[in-house]
Order: sequence, then structure tokens, then C-alpha cells
Amino acid sequence: MSTKKPFEQRTLSWVILGVFALSLLAVASFSSSGPLEGDDRIQYLSTIYACPQCQGQSVAESNAAVSATIREFISVKVNAGASDEEIRDELIRSYGSKVLLTPPAEGISLVVWILPVIVAVGGAAMVVSILRRRDEGLRPATEADAELVSQALEQVPASKEQP
Amino acid sequence: MNSTLGYGFAVLGLSASILGALGGTYALATKRLHLLRPVRQWAWLVLVAGIGAFVVMEVALFQRDYTVDYVQRVGSSATPPLYNFAALWSALEGSIILWVLLLAGYISAMLIKFRDRSDDPLFGWALVVMLAISAFFFGLMTGPANPFVPALVPVGFEGPGPNPLLQNHILVAFHPPMLYMGYVGFSVPFSFATAALITGRVGEGWLIETRRWTVAAWGFLTIGIVLGAWWSYEVLGWGGYWAWDPVENASLLPWLTGTAYLHSVMVQERRGMLRVWNLSLLCATFSLTILGTFLTRSGVIDSVHAFADGAVGPWLLVFFGVVAGGSIGLIAWRGDELRSPGAIDSPLSREASFLANNLIFGALAFVILLGTVFPLLAEAWNDTRLTIGRPYFDSLGRPIAFVMLFLMASAPVLPWRKASTELLSQRLYWPAVAAVMAMFVAVMLGARGFYPVLTFGLGGFAAGAALRQVILASRRQGWRGLVGRTNGGMIVHIGVVLIAVGVASSEAYKTDRSATLLPGQSVTVENHEFTYLELRADQNDRRQRIYAEILIDGEDVYTPAQTRYLQSGMVVPTPSVRPGFTEDLFLVLDTTPENPEGPIRLRIIVRPMISWLWTGGALMGIGSILAIFPGKRRRGTEAVSAVLVGAASG
Repeated sequence: MSTKKPFEQRTLSWVILGVFALSLLAVASFSSSGPLEGDDRIQYLSTIYACPQCQGQSVAESNAAVSATIREFISVKVNAGASDEEIRDELIRSYGSKVLLTPPAEGISLVVWILPVIVAVGGAAMVVSILRRRDEGLRPATEADAELVSQALEQVPASKEQP
Repeated sequence: MNSTLGYGFAVLGLSASILGALGGTYALATKRLHLLRPVRQWAWLVLVAGIGAFVVMEVALFQRDYTVDYVQRVGSSATPPLYNFAALWSALEGSIILWVLLLAGYISAMLIKFRDRSDDPLFGWALVVMLAISAFFFGLMTGPANPFVPALVPVGFEGPGPNPLLQNHILVAFHPPMLYMGYVGFSVPFSFATAALITGRVGEGWLIETRRWTVAAWGFLTIGIVLGAWWSYEVLGWGGYWAWDPVENASLLPWLTGTAYLHSVMVQERRGMLRVWNLSLLCATFSLTILGTFLTRSGVIDSVHAFADGAVGPWLLVFFGVVAGGSIGLIAWRGDELRSPGAIDSPLSREASFLANNLIFGALAFVILLGTVFPLLAEAWNDTRLTIGRPYFDSLGRPIAFVMLFLMASAPVLPWRKASTELLSQRLYWPAVAAVMAMFVAVMLGARGFYPVLTFGLGGFAAGAALRQVILASRRQGWRGLVGRTNGGMIVHIGVVLIAVGVASSEAYKTDRSATLLPGQSVTVENHEFTYLELRADQNDRRQRIYAEILIDGEDVYTPAQTRYLQSGMVVPTPSVRPGFTEDLFLVLDTTPENPEGPIRLRIIVRPMISWLWTGGALMGIGSILAIFPGKRRRGTEAVSAVLVGAASG
């Protein structure tokens, strides 16, 4: 590992690694199957609706009777060729919007989508401003600094005496 | 008898905590430091009270002493000894006994560790803060959450036993104590942080004193959370381990801020920067443990974990407010002295990547807190009922997790202060090769999908960087290359990578099927043949079990069951799992027929690489232990720690 390759040679091997990695990702993304069908679609749909009696569990996860009913409903609808929107609308009609596990991006629940973005941007801005601080360069030493240094120097012999 | 004795211990604990805290405050405020000595005696009495209360309750549970109200609620003569022992923490009041026992244990450990420092104001204030926390919890025990309330026993009374979900898996005996060891453990660094703010010794001394305590508390919390996930997987019968349930989220929040603290504290130790930030993280971590207890134990959120409800909610909320408000006030008061002297030289440096780490952990904690609390706020605001569940947390958590894995790969190879791209390209080369190899092997084995394959790649990258550090250190220092904070930390990182890979593959390549089967019928799922042999039943004086015998691949018989607990009448499904290195086969008996010849409804879940999660969790625990052992810079920092400064000025 300590053998140093010339810089150009290492750049080349990085490029090869990068191309290889991207092509692997491309193979993985594009060869996966198209839209979900049959059992897989039923399975997926039952993970996005909430069990109305439980806190935040999907009907796929919950063992409650009402979840079994909703799972059965989804399965019947999918096999009858209903679209995702039809299933969604019908479930909201029966159980209210609380049946949605993902809060809709409208009304009051818009907050849970916008606030994280604001916080992330704010946090990133804070980090950038901390990183930028070096741009001010070194400021000249003040009297307070000089005092700190002399205080620290006084303590050096003291700390050596300590066993 | 047990009621009176137990209540006596609670009152003793409360009195000793209050007297100790007040006595200590008086001694410190008037600078009569010799008066700190008796505070130690009060603190030892708190331990006596904690052990006393715990032992009395266990004795009452084992004697089935129904004159204690708590035993009437969770005791039963049919409960086997292990679950009877664990019944102590199966409801709110008992959990508080466990809490004070552990808190008293930590206080005693502090007394022993700092026995030479009994006159040191920093330690004195830390002890006062610990005793104040202990006064609060003993106060709950004597008032709103008294476990020792006496009760009248009706003739022929037989208790219900703990919640059935808390008496069918051995992990119930380990998950809550571990989690509490972590929760309560964070009160030690928190008390030192508060003491540093009060005494004005806000330098790096207190950080170094509490470094190992923090790592230990963090390790316990990690193990506690992983055991909780495992318990949920083995017991709850939906084939998953993490439901983004409010109570699970509550345990994850202090873990996230605690993890951020463990990283950014290194910047302060090394460069003296980020003082306010570190104090805030520590105070946030401790506040979040209280908030977690509030969410779990006040019944404010109904969830599968909230087995308890009671009158303690307002008290916990007030305590949370006092802790959070007090911390913010103290930090603001010492604001001037907390200004950091240094600056970060380059975005390509260890300290800059720790800042990025903190941003990422902070963002994740914020998202989870928001998603957990928002439904409550929305309901309080205008009675909107909404649910925030897995898809929300997944969609916001996933990008954050990718950045985390990337940082885990790049940060450990970055030097302090400043790095050149030349250096990076040299040090990151082999980790990058590991990343591409991981993706290549995964794709060759048939893995598809952008997210999982990206996870394998970034996981290989991070694991490569961690291994690089451990290998280089072991070459230089032999076995010492495995211990110490940096190397132990890298072992923890490898554990995190295993968990990430396990989560990605078990989520992305999960198969979940339901089948209706008559005896003798088979169904094939993911190349495994499941044959339903017959329905059987057995019974003991505690429970009645109906189970289906399922033959997997013509080899082994597994028995998913429906279990009816006789005392409570509750029926819970008991899944049966065939674990494996590459995949788990998870069977749940959904419905049973009236007639044994009728059809059963069987749920079959195939989840790849679940076992990597538990292995990763174990590795994180081992890494934490290794990180506590002294590394190569043994005790080197003691001579310049703030003790001397304090002794000189005080």
C-alpha cells in the first residue's frame, strides 16, 4: 500500500473504477422489472396504507382484523383491475385520510415536508459559515490573548510537578 | 408488609437525594468544600434505597404478594420465573424502579471512580445534578407512579401476569435493562456538562473525564435498540424489526444526538472548537431520553409499546421542560466563555467531516422527531387526524443514510487540519476498489435496483476505509491496533455497514405471500416448498397453543402458532422463523379453522440477510467495548486537564 504510483497512473485507475461503478449501477437500475404486477403490487399497496386502529403501522405489518380486511380489499381490487387511484380514493372514503401512511403534501401536513428542507438548508448554511470563518484570516493578538498565554505558561511548571 | 417496606425505601431514596442535592449545593455555593463529604454518604444511601426498592418488588412478585397493587396487575402464579422477574419492568411504575436502581448504580460508580476528588467542585456539582435527577424519579415513585400502593385482595384472586407479548420471548429480560442502561448512562456526561457550565470550567477537562462513560452509555443504548428490533422481529409476527413506531423513534432520537456528540467531541478535544455545540448535543441527548420516557410511558401515543398509562405524563413533561430550559439558560449564561478559539482550515479535513456528520445526524433526528410528534401537534391544533409512517421516514431517511455511509468512508482517512486531493486519492483507492467489488459481486449474484446496489457499494467503501485503519494500526501496534477510540470506532463502523446491507437487502428483496392450505397441501415461495402437515394443540396452566406443523423443503418442521393466554384471554400469533446467513424464512399462522381438517391461512415471508442486522449489532457492541479500552495515548491528557486550573483558581 505504501508503494507510490505516479499521479497520472492513479488518476487513470480512478477513472476506470468510476466507469465500472456507474455501469454496475446502470445495469442494476435498468434491468429491474417494470411496473409491479399481481402479488407484488398487492404487497406494495398494502405497505402504503395505515392500519386505522394502530399507530403508524401499515396494513401489511399489522395483525389487526381491520388490516386483514383492507389487505383483502386491496387484493380483490387489484385482481379486478382497479387502478391505484381508485383504490386510494375508496380507502379514504371508508376510513378517512388517516389511512394514508404518507401525509399528503397539502394543508397542515405540508409542514412535515417543508420543514426538514428548511432545517437542512439552514444547517448546511451554518456549516458553510463555520468553514468560511478561516477566510477572515488570523486576527492580531489582543491583550486578552496575551494574558491567556502568560496564564498558560505559569501553569506549565505546575503541571510538571504533579505526579 | 412489602408495600410498606418498599414505600419506605422510596421515601428514603427521595429524602437522601434531596438532602444530598441541597447539602451539596450549600457546600458548593458557600465554598465550604469539606461539607461535600456528607453528600457522599447521602449518595450511598440512595443506592441502598434503589437496591431496596428493587429487591422488595422482586420479592413481592415471587411471593405473588397481591397486597401490592402492582403485583395484582402484572403478577400471576402461572408466570415462569424468568418472565416473573422481568414483570418488574412490564409496566410504568416498575420501570421507574429499574430506572432509579440504575441511576443509583451510576451514582455509586461515580463515587468510586472519583473517590480522590471529593473536594473538587466540578465533581461536586456533577453529583448534585445526579442527585437532583434521582430526587425527581424517587419523587415519581412516592407520588404519581407509586409501585407500592397497597391493595385489598379479593378472595381467590389470581393475577393476569404481564402483557402476553412480554412473556413469550427471553429477550424481554435483556432489552429493557440494556436500553435503560443507555438512557440512564447519559445522565453522567450530562451532569458533568452541567457542572462544567456552573463552575465555568468549560474547557476540555470534563469531556475527557466522561469520555468512557459516554461511550459505555452509547454502547448500551445501541445494544438495547438492536435487541428491541430483534424482539419485535421474533415476537410481533409481521416479519419486520422496525415499524417507525413512536416508541422506537423515541429510543432512536437520543441515540442519534449521542452519536453526533461522540464524533464532534473529538473536534473539541483536539482543536478546542464547537464547545457550545457539544454542550447542546449532550443536553439534547439527555432531554430526549426524558422525552422518550414521556412518549413511552405517559400513554400520550397509543402504540404497541405503550403498555402503560398513568398520571406521570405532566410530571415528565415538566421535568423535560426544566432540563431543556435549564440547559439552554446555562449555555446562554456562559456564552462568552464558550466562544471557541480556533477555526477550520479546510473543508477537506477531519474536523470538517465531523461537522458534516453532525449536520446529517441532526437532520435525521429532526426528521424523526417531527414525524413522531407532528400527528400529536396536528391533532391538538385543529383536530386533524393524520398518520406518519414508514414511507415518510423511508423517503427522507434514505438519502441521509447514503450521505452517512459516504462520510463513513471518507472521514476516517482524512487527516486533521487539511488534506490534499493527492493524499485522498492515495488513501481512498483501496476502499474504492472494495466498493466496486461489493457492487460487482452483488450484481453477479442477481441483485437489482438502484438503491440496494448503491447501498452495497457505499457499504463496501465505508467498510474498506474502516478496515484500512484497523489493518494499518494493527501492523504498527499489534493487538493494540484493535483497541482505543479510533480503532474500536472503526469496528463499530463495520457493524453499521453490516446493518445497512442487511436493511437494504431485507427490505428490497423481501417476498411476502399468504396461502390458504388444507392438510397435506404445499406451496412454493422463492424456491422453498412449504407443506402443511397438520394442526395440533397443547396447553399448560398459563396458555393454550394451536400450532400448524409446516414442513420446509421436506427437511425440517416449523410450528407457527396462535397462543391464547388464559389469564388475560388475549390471543397473539407466535411466528416461527428459520434463520439463515443468506435468508430467513418467517412463518405466521394468520387464521386457524374451527375444524382441524379445515384450511389454515399461512403467511410466508422470505427476507434475505436479516441475520446481518443482529451480527452488525453485536459488532457495534464489541466495537464499543474495544473503544473503551485505552488506546495508544494512554492517560496522556490527564496532566493538562482542567483539574489543575480549577484547583489553582478555586
